[in-house]
Amino acid sequence: MGGDMNLAIIEKEGLHLFVAELLRRKNTVVGVKDQSAVSSIPGDSGFYTYAPINSPEELTLSFDVTLIPPKKYLLPAYEQLLTFNLSPGSIKADAPKEELIVFGVHPYDIIAINQMDKVFSTVPQDNHYLERRKRTTIIGVDPVKIAPRAFWSSMGADTVAGGFDLMLTDIGQCYVMEVGSKKGASLLKMAPKTREAAPAEVKERDKVRTEARKRCDANRLSFSYLELPSLLDGKEEHVIWEEKSHLCFSCGTCNLVCPTCYCFDVRDDVSIDLKKGSRYRTWDGCLLSDFAQVAGGGNFRGHRADRYRHRFYRKGQFIYRRFGDIACVGCGRCSAQCPSDIADPIAVFNRLKEGI
Amino acid sequence: MSKPRVAIFDFAGCEGDQLQIVNLEEGVLDVLGQVEIVTWREAMKEQSDHYDIALVEGSITRKGDEERIKAIREKAKILVAIGACATIGGINCIKNFQDEKFVRRYVYGDKAHWYNTYAARPVSAVVPVDANVHGCPINREEFVQVLKALLQGKKPFIPDYPVCVDCKKAGNVCVLLKGQFCMGPVTRAGCGACCITEGAYCWGCRGLVDDPNMDAARELLGRFGISAGEALGQIRLYDGYGEEAR
Ligand code: SF4
Ligand code: SF4
Ligand code: SF4
Ligand code: SF4
Ligand code: SF4
Repeated sequence: MGGDMNLAIIEKEGLHLFVAELLRRKNTVVGVKDQSAVSSIPGDSGFYTYAPINSPEELTLSFDVTLIPPKKYLLPAYEQLLTFNLSPGSIKADAPKEELIVFGVHPYDIIAINQMDKVFSTVPQDNHYLERRKRTTIIGVDPVKIAPRAFWSSMGADTVAGGFDLMLTDIGQCYVMEVGSKKGASLLKMAPKTREAAPAEVKERDKVRTEARKRCDANRLSFSYLELPSLLDGKEEHVIWEEKSHLCFSCGTCNLVCPTCYCFDVRDDVSIDLKKGSRYRTWDGCLLSDFAQVAGGGNFRGHRADRYRHRFYRKGQFIYRRFGDIACVGCGRCSAQCPSDIADPIAVFNRLKEGI
Repeated sequence: MSKPRVAIFDFAGCEGDQLQIVNLEEGVLDVLGQVEIVTWREAMKEQSDHYDIALVEGSITRKGDEERIKAIREKAKILVAIGACATIGGINCIKNFQDEKFVRRYVYGDKAHWYNTYAARPVSAVVPVDANVHGCPINREEFVQVLKALLQGKKPFIPDYPVCVDCKKAGNVCVLLKGQFCMGPVTRAGCGACCITEGAYCWGCRGLVDDPNMDAARELLGRFGISAGEALGQIRLYDGYGEEAR
C-alpha cells in the first residue's frame, strides 16, 4: 500500500475485511439491509432500509433506494433536545454522543445531506444536528441498480464532489475508492489489500457511472433542473395544483421520506407533579393540515391545494432563493410512496414546462 | 390542595379500555398517584357521586344511557371519552345498518323486550366531551398523556394527521407497496401505527382525521379492486356513526 492515495482500489474480499475491521474496532456501522432482515413481516423483502449491521454479510451495496433516507440518523424521527427542572429552574441540553459510520450512501442522498448541512449551520445554527453530523462518517457508493421511479440523473445528482469521507464504485472485480476527507484517508489505512487506482480503472469508473446515468434517464425532467426557479414564476394559479391535490390525503409521506425535507415540531413533556420535564422534536411536514396553523386556530395553508403547491415551490424555487440549491435530488421516494401517486416531481414539473 | 377526584364509567363496550388502565403499571403509579379514584365498577367496590373528572368508556345505545351520561356530565368538571366506542361510536355502530328489532332479539333472545335499545352513538352525540382518548383499545401512553395534560390544565395533544405519519416514523414498509389495502391515509394517528408494525394493516379504529379525503379513499379502494360496497363495510367497521353523518 502506497502513501497518500486519492483514488484507491480495494478488492471485493478486501472490502469485506475492511467492514469486519471497522466492526472489530467497535464502530457502530449502519448499512443498507433488505427490510425482510429488519422486520420479519412476510412480504417485506425487496425493500431497503438503513439499520445497524453486525457482520459484513449483512451489508447490501447493490440496493436501488432505501424507504427512508439516511437523514434519520442526523435528524431522528424523535429526538430529545433538553431536560429541565422547574423548581429550582435549570436546563440541561442533551448532547448526541454516538459515533456512526453510514456505509453505503448514494450520491443523491449525499447531496441532500450537504443541503441540510447548509440549512442547519445557518444562524441560528442547530447544534444537535451539527453535533450528529460531525460524529457521522459517510461512505458513499455509486448506484448499480436504478429505482423504478428515480430521476436523479436529470437533477444533477448522479455524482457528488464532496460531503463523503469515502466513495465506492463497483467496477466489476473490485471497487474504486475515492477519498473525500482526512477522516476518509485514515479509514483507508485500516483497509487491507488496497492499492492506487490505475488510469484504466479510473476510466472504468467513468464508464460505470455513465452507464448508470443512462439507465436512470428512463425517467427524466424534460429540461435543465436549473430552469426550475424561473419556470415556477407566475404558476401559482395553474390548474395543476387543484387537479392533482384532489386526491391528496395530506398524509405527509412525500415530506417524511424526502432526504431534503427537514421540518420538525417541538413539544414539551412535563412531569405530572410539574417539577421537571423534557423537550423533544419530531418530524413534521408541510403537507399536514395543521402544519401552518398558528395560535388561535388560523391556518395559512388550510386548503389541500395550497399545501400541495407549497411543496413544489419549496423544492424548485424557495430553497434555491435562500440557499442556492434545488431541493429535489431525484431519489423518487415521494413518487413511489405517495398513496395516490400524485407526488412525483417530474410529472408536475414536466407538465408545467409543456405549458398545459 | 386535595387531589382531583376521578370516576370511571362504562356504557356499551367490551371494557378493553378499562383493562388498559388496570394494566398501566408504572405509568399508572405516577399519574394515578396524583388523583383519587372514587368510582370504578371494574376495579373497586365503593362508589361516589363527587368527582371532578369522569372517564367514560362505551357507546350510548339506549334512552336510559342518555339520562345516565347527562347526570355524569352535570357532576363532572371534565369529561373524557375513552376508546373507540365512546369517541366515535366504534364497532357498536355496525348494528345501525341492520334492523334494530332483529339485532335486539339476536343479542338478548327472549329478554329482548327488556332492552329498549336504539342506534349506537358516541358520547359526544349526547353530551359535550372535553377530550377523546381514541383507539380500540386505547393506547396506555396516550391515555397517561391526555390525563396529565388535563390535570395540568393544558389542552391534550391529539393528532389530526393520518396514521401514515406514525408509520413513516416507525420505518415500516407501506402495505400499499405490497398490494394490500390500508385505512391509514384517512385514519387519525397517535397509535404509532402499531398494527402495521405488527404485520397487519390499519382498519381505522381511531376514527377519521378531521378532514379526511374520502374521494381519494374511494379511488384508492378502487385501485385495490375493492367494490364500493366492501369499501363502505371497511369504513363502517369503526366509523359507521361518522359515515351516517357524512
Ligand atoms: S404523499 Fe401524496 S397523498 Fe400524501 S401528502 Fe404527499 S401528495 Fe398528498
Ligand atoms: S422531492 Fe421526492 S424525488 Fe425529490 S428529493 Fe424529495 S423525495 Fe426525492
Ligand atoms: S373501544 Fe374497543 S376496546 Fe374500548 S370498549 Fe370499545 S370495543 Fe372495547
Ligand atoms: S401502511 Fe397504511 S398507514 Fe402505513 S404508510 Fe401505508 S397507507 Fe399509511
Ligand atoms: S394502526 Fe389503525 S387500526 Fe391499528 S391502532 Fe392505529 S388506528 Fe387503530
